[in-house]
Amino acid sequence: MTFAERMLKIDRRIIFLVIGLCTLIPLLYPVGLAIKISPEVHGVYDYIESLPEGSVFLLSLDFDPASKPELYPQAVSLLRHAFKKNLRVIGMTLWLPGTGMANEVITRVADEAGKVSGKDYVFLGWSPGGGSVIINMGQDLYKAFPTDYNNQPTKDLMVLKDVKTLRDVAYVVSLAAGTSGIETWYVFGKDKYKFELGGGCTGVIAPGLYPLLRSGQINGLIGGLRGAAEYEVLIDQKGRAVAGMDAQSATHLAIIVLVILCNIFYFMLRKSQGRTGQQPG
Amino acid sequence: MNFFRRQLPLLITLVTGLVFAAQYYVPHPASEEMLTNVTKWLQIIGGFALVLGVTSLFHIHAVKIRRREPGWGYSFVLYAGMLGTIVIGLWHNGKEVVNGTMTAFGWIYNFMMVPLQGTMFAILAFFIASAAYRSFRARSREAAVLLVAAVIVMMGRVPLGEYLVPLSGDLTQWILNVLNASVRRAILIGISLGAVALSLKIIFGIERAYLGGGKE
Repeated sequence: MTFAERMLKIDRRIIFLVIGLCTLIPLLYPVGLAIKISPEVHGVYDYIESLPEGSVFLLSLDFDPASKPELYPQAVSLLRHAFKKNLRVIGMTLWLPGTGMANEVITRVADEAGKVSGKDYVFLGWSPGGGSVIINMGQDLYKAFPTDYNNQPTKDLMVLKDVKTLRDVAYVVSLAAGTSGIETWYVFGKDKYKFELGGGCTGVIAPGLYPLLRSGQINGLIGGLRGAAEYEVLIDQKGRAVAGMDAQSATHLAIIVLVILCNIFYFMLRKSQGRTGQQPG
Repeated sequence: MNFFRRQLPLLITLVTGLVFAAQYYVPHPASEEMLTNVTKWLQIIGGFALVLGVTSLFHIHAVKIRRREPGWGYSFVLYAGMLGTIVIGLWHNGKEVVNGTMTAFGWIYNFMMVPLQGTMFAILAFFIASAAYRSFRARSREAAVLLVAAVIVMMGRVPLGEYLVPLSGDLTQWILNVLNASVRRAILIGISLGAVALSLKIIFGIERAYLGGGKE
């Protein structure tokens, strides 16, 4: 067996170890490289920044705990920004497994900002139906959610004063890990009820949402942990996302090096087997 | 019986399909009220779908346990986990926190479900790295283009990449905004046209697979 062959059949546990170390070491010893802000993330930030005090901001946390590392920091940053701007915040989720986490993040950030449930913010919880929940909210918010997550009648809540349907919401941001998510909010919500829509998503699904961004169907997109880190920089409250960027930098670089090495060995093998008339695997 | 099995569902599909396609263009209060009520029905049906899903899951795993099929122990774990969570969830009225204190349901959610799901997603990074090393090879010209694009985007999406190759950030933005967006848009248009065609086929009764394969 040649050196190239041996390297191409390397024990995968060595690769696991490299990735593990590349994740762990930067978390223990952060470098703190500068993070450049992309226009997509600026789009969401600028729109929230432009909203007058008391405007209604709806944050739909459409993800489950599997996507927590990427989307939770986005939720924290958006909520901090909204509460700092004294917006009226409505939280909800279209993903049943994410309900507890969504309630926790909203309550935690609201407490941190000194905001009161029912007066400054409300968490509506989850309701079955995905797209039909959005249509129902667009028709009559109180029929879609007669009570909030804490069983308080939504009609009596100060935070929802003069909010009857989605038409009364100034800005909706869906933080999505898949479907139902940003596309669902566009198709069943923004298109008919004419509110402004922004999005946040996992790094994996971000490229698929660029057509919506380029056509103006969403006015901004926070993509993955990088997007969350950019938002943390924008609101000047660095947190878990910025801390995680060094680890992500190191793992990306490790994967790039691995891919380059694997191709070098592949071509070495092809060259040597070309001489002997064999086909490389 | 054929009327109830075939004609009636086809008639309901035809009428509701046409009515609600037209409803989008009719902003009259009566039309809006009809939409409000029907979406409420949809939400209720969605709730039943959840019950149906859980029942089906219970049934599949009950069969596995009864027949002692390979891996039936996992089905038993699923049963124990699911029944335990349902009972505790009902006991605490589905609340994770009551008066600032975490309930047993909240404990299951925060200390079992959240870390388990997080772990499943996190180990993907290890498998992706291993798979990339084994299979991401420039075997053809197309594969080489994909490889170069992937390396640029991976560099451009992290601060270290932008620091080492300052141009990678702008190149990544261009790849995502121009190449990626145009191709994705073409795919989206294709999918949407397909969805419209399929919807029309269902509304007009040409596509009947949703009725099931029962005897005429």
